[in-house]
Amino acid sequence: MGFRNYLLKRLGYALLVLFIILSLNFLLFRIMPGDAVSMIMDPKFDLATKEELRSQFGIDQPIGTQYIKYLKSLLSFDMGRSFNTRRLVWDELKERLPNTLTLFFASFITTAAVGISLGVFAAARRGTFAENFVTGAGLFAYAVPGFFIQLMLLMIFGYYWPILPIRGTMSAPPPPGAMAQFLDRLWHLILPAGSLMVISFGSWALYTRNTMLEALGQDYIMTARAKGLDKKTVLYKHALRSVLPPILTLIFMSLPGAVTGAVITETIFSWFGVGKYLIDAVMQQDYPAAQGAFYLIALSVIVSNLLADLAYGLVDPRIRVGGGAK
Amino acid sequence: MRRTLAIIAMVVMMVSMIGVAAMAYEKTGPRVDEIIMPIIKEQQARLIAFERGDSVVIPGLTAAAEIAKVKGLPNAAVNMNYGYHMFYMCFNMRKDPFNAQVVRQAVAHIVDRDNIIRTLFAGNMLPLSSFVPQASPFYKSDVPVYPYNPTKAKQLLDAAGYVVGKDGKRIDPTTGKTMREVKFYTPTYEVAATSAEIGRIIVEAMNAIGIPAKHEPMDFNVMLDKLDVADFDMFALAWSLSRNPDFLYDFFHSSQDVEAGYNRPGTHDAQLDKALEKLYTPVDLKTAKAAADASQLILARLMPYVPLYSRPYIDGFRKDVVKGWVSMNGFGAANYNNIWTTLNIERVSGTGGTIRWMLTEEPKNLNPVTASQAYEWEVLGRVAPMGGLRQIDPVTGEDIPWMAKSWEIGQWQVSPGKFGTLITWNLRDDIKWSDGVPFTSADVKFTLEYLRDNKAPRYLSATQNIVKVETPDKYTAKVYFSNTSYWNIDKADYCGLPQHIWKDVKDYKAFEPWKEAHPTVAGMTKLVGLGPFVLKEYKVGEYVRMIKNVNYFALPTK
Repeated sequence: MGFRNYLLKRLGYALLVLFIILSLNFLLFRIMPGDAVSMIMDPKFDLATKEELRSQFGIDQPIGTQYIKYLKSLLSFDMGRSFNTRRLVWDELKERLPNTLTLFFASFITTAAVGISLGVFAAARRGTFAENFVTGAGLFAYAVPGFFIQLMLLMIFGYYWPILPIRGTMSAPPPPGAMAQFLDRLWHLILPAGSLMVISFGSWALYTRNTMLEALGQDYIMTARAKGLDKKTVLYKHALRSVLPPILTLIFMSLPGAVTGAVITETIFSWFGVGKYLIDAVMQQDYPAAQGAFYLIALSVIVSNLLADLAYGLVDPRIRVGGGAK
Repeated sequence: MRRTLAIIAMVVMMVSMIGVAAMAYEKTGPRVDEIIMPIIKEQQARLIAFERGDSVVIPGLTAAAEIAKVKGLPNAAVNMNYGYHMFYMCFNMRKDPFNAQVVRQAVAHIVDRDNIIRTLFAGNMLPLSSFVPQASPFYKSDVPVYPYNPTKAKQLLDAAGYVVGKDGKRIDPTTGKTMREVKFYTPTYEVAATSAEIGRIIVEAMNAIGIPAKHEPMDFNVMLDKLDVADFDMFALAWSLSRNPDFLYDFFHSSQDVEAGYNRPGTHDAQLDKALEKLYTPVDLKTAKAAADASQLILARLMPYVPLYSRPYIDGFRKDVVKGWVSMNGFGAANYNNIWTTLNIERVSGTGGTIRWMLTEEPKNLNPVTASQAYEWEVLGRVAPMGGLRQIDPVTGEDIPWMAKSWEIGQWQVSPGKFGTLITWNLRDDIKWSDGVPFTSADVKFTLEYLRDNKAPRYLSATQNIVKVETPDKYTAKVYFSNTSYWNIDKADYCGLPQHIWKDVKDYKAFEPWKEAHPTVAGMTKLVGLGPFVLKEYKVGEYVRMIKNVNYFALPTK
């Protein structure tokens, strides 16, 4: 099977999965008890008003009609208007996406860099205090609830030693000048991104350490050492290279988080992102908003999976499609 | 004894904290040049921001820990006011055992409100025994209540023949059999922990006097579905009520006992229906008050609900930075409905300058026709309020003239033999929109007709009975309703859509006035209003910035 066929097959699967997810996305909200209108409990909203609202929302139509409209609109990336705000869902998502992506990539890059480095560091020093320290710190960060760590950091750097801002992506109002505003945004990023790194580095470090230890016990590492290669070459060129595929999987499967966002982090640091939007939409049964956000998440998961499949081939020749068969 | 004293001390302390609106205030303002509202969603971050001075107003405190923290700050003042919130327990009067009035009254006697408030809310709620909140001028203070008294509850049941059987459960005198076990629905502990715990406490108390009961916490939406079809014995929920008691008609008139109707208890009482009909369509204030009094007295006997507590408005102010906030029952000191604080708050150092006043959520939509969240109205209410021809006096709770110098409530003949309300507004002649265009009766007519003709859901019930609006001159507007009701005056008090901006808006849902540039005034948006402030900047997700409206009719210099 050539790479082209493989790619087409993967794309076909991806589209099928997307269709199934979108259908479930539609059905799940409608089989839940109640609807967006039933949540309005206000004596001023009499039955006639509620019916009018249902009609305006389009949820008084047969479910089949709603489904066809839903699919058609999503294909054209028209996610409709939020029941709550009456604004276009895509406009609302667009406002939030840059913040979510900024926070995600800042925390992701620092977490991956710190986590993988510490994992390699610990694996290379097996049985030493350094390894025990990294393992212990990693387990601690992994085990303690993230929101607790974030609230502690908020208290420390926001209150007891108030050197960092406690909310948002910028000062209110921001300082004049492009450079000053850029630095202001960086300053606001430190606490949310840093706290996410503290919460998440543990799992990366432990995973890297474990896979590295497994690799370092393999025969080809012994052969490399027997050939007289220096420690660094054995560690980075032979051992680390061999564990890159599973680490890459971890990296790509973390990418959907860029869209789902870090809901708790967004709330604690008043970060205006997609994650909180999604939660609010689900809680308020705001179908268009929730469906729009889930659509974005489904797309990002599927694209990430595809990217992971393609990246395998780049880092591991054994997986390169078609290459081994010829 | 010690416990009783502690409860008395707590209640006295809470009641003494209620603002009596005795503080001085002026009917002019604003006294600051700018309000910056940083958006801070997390409770801990809000407290830190308040302590750091990043915000000098912390509105709508609800969590006990948060209130205690602010109370403990030496440079903070906490203002508390009665609100219109009501947490209540409802009986299904359509079936046994709650079709018997004596059973409902007995259960009312076993509700230990003070204990619930002390243990579950650290004393930060106010006990509520009335069907109309204390903040309303229609609240009748001498309506009989059912104080906590389990002995009295047992005596009532005993006297009515509900004797205790061998198993400790009471016998229903009408069937001669043990009373069936009733189910008490509440939201789950995960969704509303205190509501669920109240359910558990009351069920325990019911079982203790021999009424078999079981607590069933459930998903909120599942519960609402069950309530819509009257598939329940009893449940606990909350209402956010209003100043006018016409909601009693929706809750208790027999005509509202329909599927998904608000007469959830299934109240059918001819005497009550008669009083509620008078209350729903009173011709004047006197009739409204008399009908409200009669309805409250009958409801106190019927007890379809047991009101439990009311959440007060609790707001924190940094008294070392600001002064001049005005206490107001019904809305609190920092709510957008309280225009007096918006006008009177100023820096301790003197008038002018900027104050920072936090928003606890994102004001996502600043279109006054479609905005529905309180956070949105915290901005809109100060920039582009929809009403304001009258205001509420913070001391008496009565209506007072504002943008209307005066008004008359009369009647007109809709058709032979049928009469409707006619409200005549006599407007001030010195009012301008925030972009400088004069405000006239044409704007009142435009607003009411625009809302009615577009069937804007939020205003549908208010405007659907408006037949026409006439403007005999620039400062007189006559609003004709197809029905007769004193409450129509509230429905006629919408004037906040400037005709010169909104006349070209075809799709009100798609209009985002805060994002579109004003056609003639540089630096302004199409969010033109009659409020004391003008929207300067809304940085999505970050903050809202408002500056003093230099065209405001009540500026102190005028």
